[in-house]
Amino acid sequence: MAVKGFNPYEMAQKQFDSVAGLLELDQATRDLLRKPLREYHFSIPVRMDDGSVRVFLGFRCQHNDARGPCKGGIRFHPQETIDTVRALSMWMTWKCAVVDIPLGGGKGGVVCDPHDLSPREQERLCRGWVRAVAQDVGHLRDVPAPDVMTSPQHMLWMLDEFEAIHGAKYPGFITGKPVGMGGSLGRTEATGYGLIFTVREALKELGLDIAKTQAAVQGFGNVAQYAIQLYTKLGGKVVCVSCWDQADQTSYTYRKKSGVSLEELLAITDRFGGIDKAKAQALEYERLDGNAWIEQDVDILLPCALENQINAETVKRIAARVKVIGEGANGPTTPEADAVLKERGIFVIPDFLANAGGVTCSYFEQVQCNTNYFWPKEEVLAKLDEKMTSAFRSVCELARTRKLFMRDAAYVISVSRVASACKDRGWT
Amino acid sequence: MSNERTPAAVSTLFSTLHERAKELSCIYRVEEILSSYDTPLEEVFRRVIEALPPGWQFPECCRVRIVFGSEVYESPDYEETPHVLSADIRVQDTSAGRITVCYSKPTPESDCGPFLSGEVKLIQTVAERLGQFILHQRLRQMYSEMSGEKREVPDDNKGWRIALALLRNTDPNLFIRISRKMMNYLGWRGVPEARPLLRRYVENRDPEGVFGESNLPQEKESLERFFHLGEETFRIASANLTDEEILGRIQKWTSEERSSSSVKVLENVYASLNDVLESMRRIKRIMPEGIDLPRATANSVRVALIRRFFTEQLEFINIAKKYLDLEDFFDLVGRIVFPSGSHGKLGGKTAGLFLASRVLRQAARRVKAIGTVKKPKTWYITSDTLLVFTQYNNLEEASEQKYKDIEEVRQEYPHLVQVFKNCTFPPEIVKGLSLALDDFGDVPLIVRSSSLLEDRLGTAFAGKYKSLFLANQGDKKERLEALLDAVAEVYASIFSPDPIQYRTERGLLDFHEEMGIMIQAVVGRKVGKYFFPAYAGVAFSRNEFRWSPRIRREDGLLRLVSGLGTRAVDRLSDDYPVLVAPGKPNLRVNVSTDEVIRYSPTKIDVIDLEKNCFTTLPIRDVLREAGADYPALNRVLSIYRDGLLQRPMGLATDFTRDDVIVTFDGLISGTPFMSQLEAILKTLETALGVPVDIEFAHDGEDFYLLQCRPQSQSLEESAMEIPAGVPDKSVLFTADKYISNGRVSDITHIVYVDPDSYGEIAALEDLMAVGQAVGRLNKLLPRRQFILMGPGRWGSRGDIKLGVRVTYSEISNAAMLIEVARKKGNYVPDVSFGTHFFQDLVESGIRYLPLYPDDPGARFNEAFLLGSPNKLAELLPEFAGLAGTLRVIDVPGATGGKVLQVLMNSEREQAIALFGEPGAAARVQAGSAAACSTDRDEHSCWRLQMAEQIALQCDAQRWGVKAMYAFGSAVIGTAGPDSEIGLVVHYDGRTQHRKELEIWLQAWSLALAEIVHLRTGYRAGGLLDVQYVTGDGLAGEKPISAKLKVPPESVRELPLSRS
Repeated sequence: MAVKGFNPYEMAQKQFDSVAGLLELDQATRDLLRKPLREYHFSIPVRMDDGSVRVFLGFRCQHNDARGPCKGGIRFHPQETIDTVRALSMWMTWKCAVVDIPLGGGKGGVVCDPHDLSPREQERLCRGWVRAVAQDVGHLRDVPAPDVMTSPQHMLWMLDEFEAIHGAKYPGFITGKPVGMGGSLGRTEATGYGLIFTVREALKELGLDIAKTQAAVQGFGNVAQYAIQLYTKLGGKVVCVSCWDQADQTSYTYRKKSGVSLEELLAITDRFGGIDKAKAQALEYERLDGNAWIEQDVDILLPCALENQINAETVKRIAARVKVIGEGANGPTTPEADAVLKERGIFVIPDFLANAGGVTCSYFEQVQCNTNYFWPKEEVLAKLDEKMTSAFRSVCELARTRKLFMRDAAYVISVSRVASACKDRGWT
Repeated sequence: MSNERTPAAVSTLFSTLHERAKELSCIYRVEEILSSYDTPLEEVFRRVIEALPPGWQFPECCRVRIVFGSEVYESPDYEETPHVLSADIRVQDTSAGRITVCYSKPTPESDCGPFLSGEVKLIQTVAERLGQFILHQRLRQMYSEMSGEKREVPDDNKGWRIALALLRNTDPNLFIRISRKMMNYLGWRGVPEARPLLRRYVENRDPEGVFGESNLPQEKESLERFFHLGEETFRIASANLTDEEILGRIQKWTSEERSSSSVKVLENVYASLNDVLESMRRIKRIMPEGIDLPRATANSVRVALIRRFFTEQLEFINIAKKYLDLEDFFDLVGRIVFPSGSHGKLGGKTAGLFLASRVLRQAARRVKAIGTVKKPKTWYITSDTLLVFTQYNNLEEASEQKYKDIEEVRQEYPHLVQVFKNCTFPPEIVKGLSLALDDFGDVPLIVRSSSLLEDRLGTAFAGKYKSLFLANQGDKKERLEALLDAVAEVYASIFSPDPIQYRTERGLLDFHEEMGIMIQAVVGRKVGKYFFPAYAGVAFSRNEFRWSPRIRREDGLLRLVSGLGTRAVDRLSDDYPVLVAPGKPNLRVNVSTDEVIRYSPTKIDVIDLEKNCFTTLPIRDVLREAGADYPALNRVLSIYRDGLLQRPMGLATDFTRDDVIVTFDGLISGTPFMSQLEAILKTLETALGVPVDIEFAHDGEDFYLLQCRPQSQSLEESAMEIPAGVPDKSVLFTADKYISNGRVSDITHIVYVDPDSYGEIAALEDLMAVGQAVGRLNKLLPRRQFILMGPGRWGSRGDIKLGVRVTYSEISNAAMLIEVARKKGNYVPDVSFGTHFFQDLVESGIRYLPLYPDDPGARFNEAFLLGSPNKLAELLPEFAGLAGTLRVIDVPGATGGKVLQVLMNSEREQAIALFGEPGAAARVQAGSAAACSTDRDEHSCWRLQMAEQIALQCDAQRWGVKAMYAFGSAVIGTAGPDSEIGLVVHYDGRTQHRKELEIWLQAWSLALAEIVHLRTGYRAGGLLDVQYVTGDGLAGEKPISAKLKVPPESVRELPLSRS
């Protein structure tokens, strides 16, 4: 089927091509990195609850493993296409490389809608997926993780099947497992903390004292909450957070110029990060429009909620004082807005560096599983700090020396790391 | 109870009640004495004499005497005084003796001399019971003699003769009837001698053989003649039949006759309820082992009882008579509260529940899965009690309420409720309810309406009348007062505006509505200081909200909640019930952990036993307080830990720390509950012949059925007639897959995302922009009057190419979501069935339809969708660039004033969207005689008139008003009962003027909102939506509509007063 219109794979290739141009990569390396190294397409017959058999289409793409075993999620989606999986596997390669963890990029999926499958059918599907690729994945080859519509439960079924096939325990085969079943401590904190580690380094870079800075946060979910926790601990002051109000079906920004208190807000927040309107007002928070967070007079903006929040229109409202934007969410800035930010000289920590705490912690989970020795949370977080800090410094230094915008520098550094690994191995 | 409820009045009431209680316990004692038929009569009399005095007002001076035949029995120091009360003991209508009560010394004057009227009744009852007892003893003796003789002297052919002789002496009427039966029997057997005799039975009656045409009164026939005939008959019988056969016949007929008098009362539609119940009691007493009536009689009794207790509706009777036995009705006896001379019924809800529970009991013998289905302990108040209540309190005018203007009804209703609550009940009802409370004890109760209109086959009258929960705590007096109060309030609800309007709309206003009441023990357990069931819910035998193509309509739908089922009955705005299809319990609406948690119930309805009230609480609080007591905990909850939802194991749940989520996973996958529910729904649907919905509750041990009625079919959700032969130009589309029932009418706008063009968008930002534009349109277009049509999977968080990426809040005002699956090459993409916000769609009533335009036979008017003018640029200039993909079609504008209507019929798996005149919706409604009275035009007209009034009355000069415009639904003609009136005020911009204008318009706004509330029941904070513009803002070239970003036809300038 000829695909017209938006194609994520083509977009990922285009992005790569432009970085490859910057790096002046040779043609062979370009040819190698433009496509996945290996792709597995397979049929998974599943016995349904009513006794009939349905055959599902499964994929696994291993984009590049020059730096280490592939790493990437498994998606269950009714209209999964191989191009989506290819694009996502390539992005995983860059993401692992930017934080300099010894892993490559992979992605997998099954064309199915879990809404049409009973839990037992899903279990059989998971086990079927593993049977199809059991010889080509594993803790030393390719490590899957939860993704769209897959959960820790699916991971445990898959792990169980894998271990049954190979006749031994391999907890490092898959990540995203619950604590106590091979999961790592510190995972809940990882993304939010990782974001603030990079923000802290950015402020150092700009010669600013974090204790004298103020921040505005969009979102009040897991990432935002831990980011606020660490930022406040480091002396910073968060003046507002925005969140979705389920009852009113709109978002609000809650502001307290003297600084919001995380504990105070958590006590009046539901499990989805929705803050109780009335109680917030009682605690003397001003309730502003949901978009008001972006126009606050602060040093740091932390978009931790949705895509495309900083766009051609909203970028105009960013206050003059703003110096750093830490992209806690995926893709919060549109290309038009990016151009404006470049022009204004605002320091942007790009999403795939800023929120790489999550994948770094997955790596730690795998390391702990492989050694069958689990670290205390403090140790996980300390190692996370070390990884994120050094990753940031490398990107930043490249940006400084080569006069690149941070986002471009991040891409450049990860592509060049992968490219040189391929060269070192004598592949190209 | 007086109107004032003064302490004195209350104390009188309670002393009266005390006397009643004494009388009742006296009757119980007498019944106990009479319960054993082996006690010799002498002994019985002696014990009755001892038992009676405590039932009288002054037991210490009460003496009793019983005269029976020549025997006299009496209290030790019995002495005849003038203060006597006595009654005949009658056996088979002849006096056999007399019972007398007297006071040995003078006592204060009361109702009848020194006696209370209750006491007069009491002695009559005792006398009557003694008479029955004596008759019974005689009959028993006769039988034992008959069968005894048969055994001892088998050769003696005189056995039956003795019985016959006895019968002749003790019960001549019975003797004659039995002789006549024997005569008929001989005739049928073809015994030749019988024929002349048969003629002699009738010859005196009709000498000319043309019985019925003679005008002469018939001669009275002498008893002797019949005796003689009888003897003749049995002489022939003994010559032709064996002795055994004759004896067998006599025994059978006497036994039938024994119950026949009582049975006759049951069959008599004109007998009062009291007589019916008394007869049933008698039958039960005479034949505790069950009644063996001839088939025809049994049928006629059954039908008579169904009509008597439940309904005259033939559809119901036809079904009910297949499942109900005479014995079933015994359940009701003793639990009915009714006024004397009552002919009332128990109402629709009671009937539905009663029938359903019998159907299930019968089916459970064959279908194991049904298991045990219980019914909570219930008392009933007959429907005519309401009438007696209104008469007793001189409230007859209340019945005229229904003919008043609905505004007046609404205005008066709150007062009417208060009047009702301050009324007194007739003492017999108070007494009945007091007995009911003694029977219930202090378990919480629910007082439910059971009107004659409710739950009838054919009309769903769902939830229109009140049901009230009572914690039923405190002393008896408090509990009784609360119960009476609740009954009065439920009574008042028959006069509340909503049901009256509903009845008006359906042509049911003139139906003589009476309301029975069910008082049910609430199913549940005590959990800490709360009381509630482990889980409860509503289940439908047909699923109208399928979330997967694998689910069929017949798989049913269950809305399940923890605690009281009230939360499952209504659509919730702030919480979600768990939805399950009992036929496919493993295909869940919510699959990912995030979805499961987001859509899990967070609140619970309970009865707070300490505060004595019904209340809603966060489930977490209840669990923290008393989680360990929660019944069947592991079936209800899961624990969320590290991204994993786990069923709790054993007793390991820590309610203070664990993240507990209501999932019902244990119940759904670990117990046979779903198959039980499926079997129940299927059985009931088959038996009743219509799709049903039931309410149920489970206390952790047993399943209780609380209600059963035809599946509610509101006008918007019932099967629509799909018109045939509609010309192509009037059709927008047809569909024939995964259709649910219902209709969506008066659609004025279509938001259409062209699948081809959407698929060709190359830039991610543009794809996202389509979703954003839809979100903006959602706020601009008239609520529930636009539909969304577009490719694939709306709201999907996955690949954006597969469907428009929107959140629920961006489509929340749409009337319908249509996912279009266009064929691509040889492949048709999936649609999502709205899974991403399925539960939000269900709770807010937004309809969903998947569309397959390329299927053979499907009609799809793409030319209209692509060819009609696109209003997007006008409405959202900033999104004009998307006009190639996103089209907003103003239906009346494009069709010359028509609107779109979607009709769906799931039985036929057909749906059609067609253009028609506004307000035509009611006319194509299938099978409904009534038309909708709430005409949208009326709402628009009135709003426009009001807007004109405002403009005319506005002091334009004083406030510098230059122009005024109305805009929005009132102008387009699409306003509903809850629509606002849009006003634009163009004034000179001076702050003082603005302030004064605001106050003046605010007053209008509030006043209009109040009028709307009275007219329709919708309550709003204000009715005006005012926008102020100043200076030359409107004088430019741009038309006002463009400035307001609304279509030009939705704005109208209002004439200002020029005075």
